[in-house]
Amino acid sequence: MKKKEVSSGKQKKVFYVLLAIVIFLSVLNVVKARGLLIPAQHPVDVKNKVVHLDQMTLEQKIGQMVIVVGDKENYWPWKNMQLGGIHLFSRQNENIFTNTITDFQYQMPIPFFVTADLEGCISPFGFIRQFTSASEINTTDEAFAKGVDEGAFLHRLGFNLDFAPVVDLKDDIWKCRSFPGDEEKISELAQAYLSGLQTQGVLGTAKHYPGKTLIVKDPHKYVVSAEIGRKDIFPYRYLKEKGEVKAIMVSHVITSGEISSERVPSVVSKKLIDELRQNFSGLIITDEIHMLGLQKFYGSLDEMYLAVFKAGSDVVLDFDKDPTEIYHMIQVIKAAVERGEISQDQIDASVTRILKAKGFTVA
Amino acid sequence: MVSEKIWFIINVSLGLLTVLLALTLAGLQLPTLGQAQYYFDKEEPLCGVDWKGEITPMQDLDRCCLQAREQLECHRETDNDFDWLCQGGTGSAVVKYRLNNKAYNYCGQQPYW
Repeated sequence: MKKKEVSSGKQKKVFYVLLAIVIFLSVLNVVKARGLLIPAQHPVDVKNKVVHLDQMTLEQKIGQMVIVVGDKENYWPWKNMQLGGIHLFSRQNENIFTNTITDFQYQMPIPFFVTADLEGCISPFGFIRQFTSASEINTTDEAFAKGVDEGAFLHRLGFNLDFAPVVDLKDDIWKCRSFPGDEEKISELAQAYLSGLQTQGVLGTAKHYPGKTLIVKDPHKYVVSAEIGRKDIFPYRYLKEKGEVKAIMVSHVITSGEISSERVPSVVSKKLIDELRQNFSGLIITDEIHMLGLQKFYGSLDEMYLAVFKAGSDVVLDFDKDPTEIYHMIQVIKAAVERGEISQDQIDASVTRILKAKGFTVA
Repeated sequence: MVSEKIWFIINVSLGLLTVLLALTLAGLQLPTLGQAQYYFDKEEPLCGVDWKGEITPMQDLDRCCLQAREQLECHRETDNDFDWLCQGGTGSAVVKYRLNNKAYNYCGQQPYW
């Protein structure tokens, strides 16, 4: 009887110890998942809209190159890391949009890019109001008016960067994201749309470079391969020449022909991005990087992060909702810069372009 | 009075839970129920873009998942081969995404979902 009581007492002690460990580990897991273990960066000293690059840490610079999803659950980690931007998905009403944006921008010395996919017929504002689809636009006046209308709406809510217009020549899937017509007409309409949008203080993004992204894909392949012709590339050359386009988004398509990505997805092709950079001082933005087609090229996420940054885009869209993983990506790139695999000059040049696009003078 | 056998079972369970929590904290990705469902579901994943009532199949499942995630909500709504409807607005002029269970479970595993 006594032996049984002693054993039961021991079991009780073990129970309490294990329970304490389980509670402790659970709390630690929640804290980690919410990104609360990520150290906060010191505030960047901004005076009279002038930013001194040498006063920014390498982590702050890399952080500025990243756009994440602006969910409120990641409010603190995104602000603490001082990331470059937040992308907002659909919400029920205008108040939720404006409150979210106001909260994120509050006391940020370098404000976030606040981005949306209001393009063609795609809209995160479907519950708030409807816009004409790009496929229904026929004249440059209509395209300009559409740009003004959408720009004013976005600006009123607090957005400052729209991932529009689509300048792919063909849209076999949605059938409403691209402007109608041949390459010349599409270019003129895109130019007019950009002019209208940007009069309202919202930057536009021509996408998806170098074309042929909205075509039906071979279901047995992870990545689309496409032969790019002169016509596909025409809108980008046209918009660059006109000087209106402030940002271009690069796709994951493997391309050959007029523009070759040299057997890797466009977004990780340094040659392709270097060529795109010629005569273009705006931002080069990646498409979202979690497409399996891109990941399949690399043994690990770390290798993919490295390849994406090394290729030379200024802004990387990473919609991973895990703040620890975003922080990890920044650390991976920071280590690569410190060992010379990515040059500090490249990072500085990208951050300079980003800060200028945000309206700062860089010293 | 809790028997010794019950104490033993509770403690072993807590011990296992401790190990799982420690592994999660160390960054080990444990398989989820959604992954198991996706693995055992032998039908082909299907995604369709619905615009003005016309549904076009979308072969790029990753792109489909990302577009579906951008919508306000996904709810069960059976329509021919599809089991889920994801939408960010109402009316036929709003683009919607339709997915079958296999595709929906795949999307649930993506880091942005």
